[in-house]
Amino acid sequence: MLETDRNQLHKLVEEALPELDMVIGWGQSTDSFQTTPVFVRDAKQISQLTLGPFCSQNLTGYLVKPPALDAAPKEGAKPIGICVKGCDSRSLVALIQEKFLTRERVRIFGIPCRGTVDWNKVGKLVDLSNVKSATVEEDVLVVDDSQTTHRIKLEEVLARKCYGCRYPNPLIQDVTIGEPATPRSTSIESSYRDVDRLDAKPLEERLDFWQSELDRCIRCYACRNACPLCVCQDKCIIESREPRWLTQRVGIPEKFLFHFIHAMHLAGRCTGCGECERACPMDIPVTLIKEKLNKIMEERLGYSAGLDVEAVPPLLTFNPGDTEI
Amino acid sequence: MTDEGPRSIAPADGTAADTQGIKIVGFLCNWCSYGGADTAGVCRFKQPTDLRVVRIPCTGRMDPLFIAKSLIYGVDGVLVSGCHPRDCHYAVGNFYARRRMEAFKAFLPFMGIDTRRFKYTWVSASEGQQWQKVVTEFSEQIHELGPNPGVRRQTGENSKVSTGLR
Amino acid sequence: MAVKIFIATDQLDSVLEKLATKIDLWIPALLKEDKSGPTGFIPYEPGKSPVFERQTTLPTKKLLLPQVETLLRFEYKKDPEGGSTSSIVVDDARQVRPTLVFGARSCDVRALITMDRVFSQGPYVDPYYVERRKNTFFATLVCEQNDSKCFCSSVGGGPADMEGSHLKIVKLDEGYVVEALTKEAGSLLEGLGEAVDKAKDTKAGKIVKEASKRIVGDLDTKGCAEAFRNRFAQNDFWVQMVSQCLSCGVCTYVCPTCYCFTITDETQNLKGERMRSWDSCMFSQYTLEASGHNPRPTKLERYRNRVGHKFSYIPEKYEGILGCCGCGRCIRSCPVTIDIRQVVGNLKENSNEQ
Ligand code: SF4
Ligand code: SF4
Ligand code: SF4
Ligand code: SF4
Repeated sequence: MLETDRNQLHKLVEEALPELDMVIGWGQSTDSFQTTPVFVRDAKQISQLTLGPFCSQNLTGYLVKPPALDAAPKEGAKPIGICVKGCDSRSLVALIQEKFLTRERVRIFGIPCRGTVDWNKVGKLVDLSNVKSATVEEDVLVVDDSQTTHRIKLEEVLARKCYGCRYPNPLIQDVTIGEPATPRSTSIESSYRDVDRLDAKPLEERLDFWQSELDRCIRCYACRNACPLCVCQDKCIIESREPRWLTQRVGIPEKFLFHFIHAMHLAGRCTGCGECERACPMDIPVTLIKEKLNKIMEERLGYSAGLDVEAVPPLLTFNPGDTEI
Repeated sequence: MTDEGPRSIAPADGTAADTQGIKIVGFLCNWCSYGGADTAGVCRFKQPTDLRVVRIPCTGRMDPLFIAKSLIYGVDGVLVSGCHPRDCHYAVGNFYARRRMEAFKAFLPFMGIDTRRFKYTWVSASEGQQWQKVVTEFSEQIHELGPNPGVRRQTGENSKVSTGLR
Repeated sequence: MAVKIFIATDQLDSVLEKLATKIDLWIPALLKEDKSGPTGFIPYEPGKSPVFERQTTLPTKKLLLPQVETLLRFEYKKDPEGGSTSSIVVDDARQVRPTLVFGARSCDVRALITMDRVFSQGPYVDPYYVERRKNTFFATLVCEQNDSKCFCSSVGGGPADMEGSHLKIVKLDEGYVVEALTKEAGSLLEGLGEAVDKAKDTKAGKIVKEASKRIVGDLDTKGCAEAFRNRFAQNDFWVQMVSQCLSCGVCTYVCPTCYCFTITDETQNLKGERMRSWDSCMFSQYTLEASGHNPRPTKLERYRNRVGHKFSYIPEKYEGILGCCGCGRCIRSCPVTIDIRQVVGNLKENSNEQ
C-alpha cells in the first residue's frame, strides 16, 4: 500500500514540479529509519520523496521561517509544493488564517495519516543503536537491529499526539495521496486524555511533575524553533535584552517562565501538531502544556485552531458579551 | 540579586515590608483603577499594606508573562484591575485582556500554581470604596493561603528524577 | 607499577560510595526514570546506578564549562557622606572542588583537547576553565557500545583512546577493572576494590586490544580544512546541505566541543553578577551587531560556521586537531536529522565545480 502511495506521490510531484518553485517533502536521512525534510527543486530529486509513519516532521514551518523560502513573493513567482499530514494541514490553515501565507502560494499534497512513529518509544523496546533496517508492513513495524528482527505493533509506538488525533485527513489540499484514514479520536474526552490524567492529580503533584520534567530542559529552544506557529523566531521575547525578561540562569523558575510564555503565545493558535515535543532532545512533554490551553479554548470558546481559514483565533479578538469565558 | 527574585524588592517608599512579609503585586490601569486606588487613598479608606502597585497604560497591556513571572518567583498574589467593560479608555483593551486572563487563570493550576493567587477585577476611578473592598478581600485571601513558595530554585541534580507521565 | 583494581558488579555501589568521600564524584545516569530516556552526568548519590550501557545524551562539558557560571559579583556602595560618588566592590565568585567523573567516554575526554587549546594554551588563558580542568579527573570507559552515529576514529580518537584520561575502566562480565593512568589518580584508588588476578587482567587486556583495533566511523577528514574554504562561497552547496536546519542550537548544546559563550551582567538594585553562559552560533543574536546588522542572517551562514569552525578554522589554527570528537551527539539529537558527517563528507566531492 505504502509502495503504491509513494509511486502516486512521485507521479503527482513529477507532473506538478514544472509549475512549482519546489516541493517540500520527506526523504530518507542518513540512518536507516528516520526521515529528514527534503526540498525538491529538480526532477532528479523526486525519487528521494517518501511517505508513511516515519514522516514525523511538520514541514509547514519552512514556509514562513527565515530564510523564508519566499516570504514576499515576486509578481508571478511560482507556488511552493508541500506535503502535509492531517495535523500539518492544520498548521497550514493557521498560517493562512494569520496571513503569513496565502492559499495560492502553496500547492498542497495531502497525505491521509495513519499515525507517526515515536522513536523514543521504539527505543524502549528495541536497542536502536545499530538498526540495520526498519520497515512497515501494514500495521506492524519491523526493525532489524542486525541480530534480531523485531515486530512491533505500530499502534504501540505512535507519537503521543496521534492517539488523540481527530483530523488525520488533511483539511486543505490540492491532491490527496492514498485512501482516507479513520480518526483515532472523535471527542474532546478522548483527545485530551493525558491532560485529564495530570489534572486529576493534586496541585502539589502537578507542580512536582513539571518541576522535575522542566528541570531537564537545557533551554536550547528547539521546541520554539520547531513550532511552525512560533513565527517571531529571531525576534523572540525570551531573548530580548532590553527589557530582559529572563535571566541567563538555568534554574527551574527560568524554565517555567519560558514555557509559560511559549504556551501563552500559542494559546488559541496551537494546533497540537506535536513538533515542539518531538524536537525536544530531553524528552520533555512540552506539547502537553499547550494541550491544556487548547482544551480550555475548546471547552470554553468552542474553538480549535487550524480548522477554518476564515476563523479568527480567539485571543486575537473578543466578544463584548464575554463574561467568564 | 536577580535570583533572589521579588522577595528582594523593597517598597518604593523605603519603609520596611510589613511584618508578615506577604507581597501582592497590583497591575492597575492608568485611567480607571489607578485613579480608583488614588480615590481610596484621598478618602483615607483603610487598606491593607501588602500591595505594591505597578501602573500600566491599560489592561490590554497586561501580558500574562507579568503574572507568570511574579508567581513563579514567589510573589504571594497578583491583582490586575482595569476599567469596567465598555468603559475602557481605549475602547476595547480590557475586552482582549479579559479573554487572556480567563484563559491564563484556567491554565495556572495545570502547572501546579494555585489559581487563587491571581485575581482580576474592574474598578473605576470614582469607586474608592469598591477598591478598598477588592484589595481587602484579596489580601485576606492571600494571607489565608500564606507565602507562595514559587517554583523550586534548586535543580534536581541531587534530587529525584522524573517518573514521566503516568 | 600502575595501580589497578577490580570492582565486582555487586560491589560497584559501595566502591563509588567510598570514592565519593574522597572527591566530588559524578556519574552518567538517567535524567528520567526510563531506561531509554535522556541521560547526563550528575553528582553521585548512594544507590544511584551509573548508566554505562550507552553514551549519555549530554556530554561532560558542563563540568568544565558550566551552562551558566558566575564570574564575579559586584556591589555598588554609595558614598556615606551622601555625595554622588559610589565605589564598586568586586568579588571573585569562583569555587572549584576536586571532581572525578566516573564513566566518561574517550570522545568526551577527546573533546577537552580542543577545549584546552582554546582556553588554557594561550594567547588568552581562562583562569576559570584552567582551575576546573586541573581539578577534574576522568575515569574513562573503554568503549564497546559505539552506535551507527559514532565516528571517533575519523577525527583522531578511538574507542580505547585514553589521551587526557586519568583512569581507565574496562568492563568485564563480572565487574570492572580500573587502572590509574597517573600517580595522583592512583591515590584515589587506594584501599578500594580487590586485586586484579591474572585471568581478569588478561581478559581486560584483550578487550582493550580489540577496542583499540576497532575503527569507528568512515568519514574521511583529510583535507577538509581546504575543502571547506573552497565551498565557503558556494551558496548552492549550503542550501542543499542544510535547508532543513531549524537554527535551534540543539547540536551545539549537546556537543562536547562547542564552547562558545556569552557574558552578561545581571543587576538588581545595587548588586549584580557577571555571568558566563553557553551561547550558540546557531542563534541569530550570536552575531547580531549593535547597528542591527547581522553578518550571519540565516541558518545557512550559521550552520556553515559550525562546520567551518570545527573542520577548518580550528585545524588550521591548532596544528591539525579537529574541533569535533566524533561523538555523534549532534546527529542523534537534531530534530531534523542533519548529519554532520554527510556535510563534511560532501565538502570535498567536486569541491571545485560550481
Ligand atoms: S506549540 Fe507545539 S504542538 Fe502547538 S503548534 Fe507549536 S509545535 Fe505544534
Ligand atoms: S526543546 Fe526541550 S530542552 Fe530545549 S528548550 Fe524546549 S523543552 Fe527545553
Ligand atoms: S540541531 Fe539540527 S536543526 Fe538544530 S541547529 Fe543543529 S543542525 Fe540545525
Ligand atoms: S560536532 Fe557533533 S559529532 Fe562532533 S563533537 Fe560535536 S556533537 Fe559530537
